[in-house]
Amino acid sequence: MKHTKRDILLHLYGESESESDLRSLLRDKDLKAEYTAMSETKFKLDLKKSDRPDRQVIDAIMEAARAPHGGASALGGKRRDRGPVSRTSRLKRVMLPALGIAAALVFAIGVYWNSSSLTSPSASVASSAFEDTVVPPESLYRFVPSRQGGLTTVQDSKSALSWDDGNTLPNLRDRINTLKPADRLDWGEAAMPLEMLSGTNRPGFQTAGSNR
Amino acid sequence: MFPADEDLVIQYVEKGDEKAFRILIDRHQERVFGYLLGMVRDRETANDLFQETFLKVISALSNERGSYTVQGKFLGWVLRIARNAALDYLRSRKKWTDVSSSYAEDDVDYWDRLPDESPSADLLVHRSEQADVLKMCIDALPAEQREVLLLRHEADMTFKEIADLTGCSINTALGRMRYALINLRRQLTAQSKMDLTEVAQS
Repeated sequence: MKHTKRDILLHLYGESESESDLRSLLRDKDLKAEYTAMSETKFKLDLKKSDRPDRQVIDAIMEAARAPHGGASALGGKRRDRGPVSRTSRLKRVMLPALGIAAALVFAIGVYWNSSSLTSPSASVASSAFEDTVVPPESLYRFVPSRQGGLTTVQDSKSALSWDDGNTLPNLRDRINTLKPADRLDWGEAAMPLEMLSGTNRPGFQTAGSNR
Repeated sequence: MFPADEDLVIQYVEKGDEKAFRILIDRHQERVFGYLLGMVRDRETANDLFQETFLKVISALSNERGSYTVQGKFLGWVLRIARNAALDYLRSRKKWTDVSSSYAEDDVDYWDRLPDESPSADLLVHRSEQADVLKMCIDALPAEQREVLLLRHEADMTFKEIADLTGCSINTALGRMRYALINLRRQLTAQSKMDLTEVAQS
């Protein structure tokens, strides 16, 4: 029995030599049914489309085949290319946005600090003083053609520095001396005319009309 | 002009004729790749194993032909390399268990001892195209049955060559093939019944 079943396959796939065995085999109804059933399945398998490897696989193999003395050297590094799993993508996904946010924060803090320092009173005073006193360097240096040529320093009334006034400091000192109070004066005393003070020859004080 | 495999191998090994090697690949790529794809059931993996197989072929041929000897069995030699690569992969994925030696003995009534391991048709996913259904049914076969079927239909090997390659008797190879066809037919019938039921319900 088992040899007969084996023969079904051998006949089905054309690997049995004798044709007469098949005829005798098909006389049995059960064997004939099995043979028919297997023939149908085999027919479906024969119709199955063949698969081929990807083109780049063949290319990689042929590249290895072209290498001198064959694949021994090619085995090491001729694998088909695949997308590398690197840290670059992670860097792009995580690090770059973080760096961007950090840079934006630094920029915002810098802008805030700059604007606050510009709007503070001391800064405004300093800046206004700066505007008053600083003279653009172009006004100090003017190109004057001369026999020697080159740059010549020119100073006129307009270009003179405003703080370079020689009378300001002595005038200020005189005003301070004029306003200097007497030794016995106290902030708590009641107000009285100057003429009532004892010792009219106090330094710094003169009675009204004395110069007349 | 249809040069034999052995002539092409000699041309490649002795004259460095890469065109000869290309002819060999073109001639056998469907057999080798079809077998590998059926074994591992994943195209990407099959591509990798196919490349690995032929790189080993090149390496072996370059090293004074390595394990290859001119015997008119180039395809059988390549398929042996491919099979080893596939089994290594499947073992690493624990999807392959070697058949115990008692099953390979000729004095055992192998026909009656083969288990019917066909999965239920309920597990199969509905597919409209017949080719997809057929492929799915082949993939669902037990590993040993599937391998013999692939070697016979994809690699076009005889049962004697299959027996030599897989290290079993011809009776064992024939037995696996018979059960592969029976299970396949059963699955296809169940699948077509399910399709008819769906059509009737719709």
